[in-house]
Amino acid sequence: MRKFAINIFSFTLFAMVFYIIALFLWGSFAPNVLKPNINYRIGSWGHMHSRIANIKNYHNVDILFLGSSHAYRGFDTRIFSDSGYRTFNLGSSAQTPIQTKVLLDRYLNALNPKMVIYEVYPYTLSIDGVESSLDIISNDKNDIHSLKMALKINNIKTYNTFLYGLMCDFIGLNKTYTEPISKGTDRYIAGGFVERKMRHYIPTQLKKKEITLNQIQIKNLAEIVNMLKERNIELMLTYAPLPKANYYRYTNNNYFDSLMGTYATYINFNKIMNLDDSLYFFDADHLNQNGVKKFNAKLIELLKNVPNKNK
Amino acid sequence: MLFNSIDFAIFLPIVFILYWFAANRNLKLQNLLIVIASYVFYGWWDWRFLSLIVFSTLVDYAVGLKLKTAENKTHRKALLWTSISINLGLLGFFKYFNFFVDNFTAAFSLFGTEIKTNSLDIILPVGISFYTFQTLSYTIDVYRRKLEPTKDIIAFAAFVSFFPQLVAGPIERATNLLPQFYKKRPFNYAKAADGMRQILWGLFKKIVIADNCAHYANLIFNNSADYAGSTLVLGALFFTFQIYGDFSGYSDIAIGTARLFGFELMRNFNFPYFSRNIAEFWRRWHISLSTWFRDYLYIPLGGGRGGTLQKVRNVFIIFIVSGLWHGANWTFIAWGTLNACFFLPLLLTNNNRSNLDTVAKGKTFPSVREVASMFLTFGLTVFGWIFFRANNIEHATSYISEILSPSTFTTPEFEGMGRALSTILLVILFVALEWRGRERQYAIADIGSAWYRPVRWSFYALIVFSIGMYMPSVESPFIYFQF
Repeated sequence: MRKFAINIFSFTLFAMVFYIIALFLWGSFAPNVLKPNINYRIGSWGHMHSRIANIKNYHNVDILFLGSSHAYRGFDTRIFSDSGYRTFNLGSSAQTPIQTKVLLDRYLNALNPKMVIYEVYPYTLSIDGVESSLDIISNDKNDIHSLKMALKINNIKTYNTFLYGLMCDFIGLNKTYTEPISKGTDRYIAGGFVERKMRHYIPTQLKKKEITLNQIQIKNLAEIVNMLKERNIELMLTYAPLPKANYYRYTNNNYFDSLMGTYATYINFNKIMNLDDSLYFFDADHLNQNGVKKFNAKLIELLKNVPNKNK
Repeated sequence: MLFNSIDFAIFLPIVFILYWFAANRNLKLQNLLIVIASYVFYGWWDWRFLSLIVFSTLVDYAVGLKLKTAENKTHRKALLWTSISINLGLLGFFKYFNFFVDNFTAAFSLFGTEIKTNSLDIILPVGISFYTFQTLSYTIDVYRRKLEPTKDIIAFAAFVSFFPQLVAGPIERATNLLPQFYKKRPFNYAKAADGMRQILWGLFKKIVIADNCAHYANLIFNNSADYAGSTLVLGALFFTFQIYGDFSGYSDIAIGTARLFGFELMRNFNFPYFSRNIAEFWRRWHISLSTWFRDYLYIPLGGGRGGTLQKVRNVFIIFIVSGLWHGANWTFIAWGTLNACFFLPLLLTNNNRSNLDTVAKGKTFPSVREVASMFLTFGLTVFGWIFFRANNIEHATSYISEILSPSTFTTPEFEGMGRALSTILLVILFVALEWRGRERQYAIADIGSAWYRPVRWSFYALIVFSIGMYMPSVESPFIYFQF
């Protein structure tokens, strides 16, 4: 029995070391099709790498934007700057509350915002957050918060990518990487916004579906709300405009609205703005620059109407 | 609790440590620990159905004791039928009630008579078909005086509920497993190490092969109307490896886990896809069920003796019942019937007992004749699996019709075809390893036995790595849990 116990323990250690080395080699040299459970995408779509690199230049902002691509493609920091707001946009692809929590843990102290505008969307509150965690692991440093995020998500793809990311950080493989400002039709704007070259959406019919919210995401949302409350940071939840075809595909928007209203000030812009699908969007999810201008103007108008707000 | 879950990864070491360190001096205590662990294992899924196992255990224990003292033939028969009726009655209710009610109603409506019936919302208790057959084997063997009835209720409860094989077999015979609960089981290093190796291989089969194949098999079968025949052939092949990896993987984990506790379970799979005819396939696939039906149904019916008509009848009965055992659906009956049709020519030409050895024994490559016979048998098996996997008979027939159309000669195409490449490569590697180890208990049983330890461990660690690299994001239950 003693021999068995020693061998099991030794093999476990051996297998762990083997796993880490094999993961690094396989992750670095195997073609993507052969490594489905490592998805390390440094400089991926959404300019997360540039955003993180940019963050050190921002302190004591008036507004911090958070959320999915609806946030980093929807809140144009230049427009807010023209209105006298110093803002930073910390959105990331399909960002769920689990990732938002990690980003706040890391950057809230440094950015020290007076207000947080958090873009919420039924989809990001219904998913497990695996894919969106990979974006943050690949493009930001990996620390204890990343580990906590991986444990919360509890998915092999997140664990593998986190381990791979740790090794890349440790060896310093990413130190020399610089993300281009323009990639395809996207251009990174200082402050976190990503501008898409002007295009128009051709609306299509989308299949109706009812959203079932993920309780882990809801729990994390509640934690974010409490965290900001404890620091006396004002929070506004927003449902950014969507093309009607996409917005009305969700059959339980009213339920979503009433739930979000229980957490903080909540504005569903789909109810207070009427944007034409083919004029103000570039795809089924995102506003084009004309739509961004309209949306941001409306938001600024609302912020200004609230006395003594954050300017 | 699933074998491929974190829960089990925590549960197994705890039970192992308690078994060998806290209860190792007392056999009764070890058996009691097995009963408690087994009930926890089963109750993890739904504790309410534990009462069924306990009830079944008590009935067969009592019947066994009564059979010991009963000399009168009628009395003994009555006792046997009490056990059979109660066990099969429970199985029939939970598994077949709605099926029979629905078909009864449909049959009457064919004659223009509408009957109002209500289907019940019945949950099928996991593993009921397995432990029912296991406990029945005890009563039948005691009735046949092949086995002394046990007075040890703890040992008997442990035999019925033994957690490694409780929910998906192998379906153990009382004559093999029960006596192992009476004897002291000293820890055996070689046996435990081999058990760990078999568990590792079982996890690889389940997580890497079966679960990845399942993704594509489900995609293609669930949207079969959208695909060309060539894609449907690929879908059937994916399912073929899914079901083998899933079920034989479970059996490997079960046998390996049992070995950690000093038990030897019967072999359940013997490289069935290398069979040279259907009779050989059935000697190598789900061996514990096939031999159960052989011993308790086929032979009592007369087996291969008697006239041609009787032989044909027996073959059809055994295969149809075997199909029905898998589930209350006409697809399983069709699958059983189909296999009976494949088997019958071999029986009638006295070829059903050919190919008793391993294909290409002692050689690296098979002969051309062996390759041809393996391909033919594999083809028939894949064809049969279409019925097994289809949602209903119409689905199966439309699936096969498309395969028989010219679209089978086009390039297969489906969503995620590129990603399926890694699964196809893994299956090829898997088949190569299985071929290499086909004369062993399981494919990697002897790999590395003569190697320098770091090299051998690297091989096992590579299997661990491939599990981490290719396991799907969501853990899937074992297919045979539903049976």
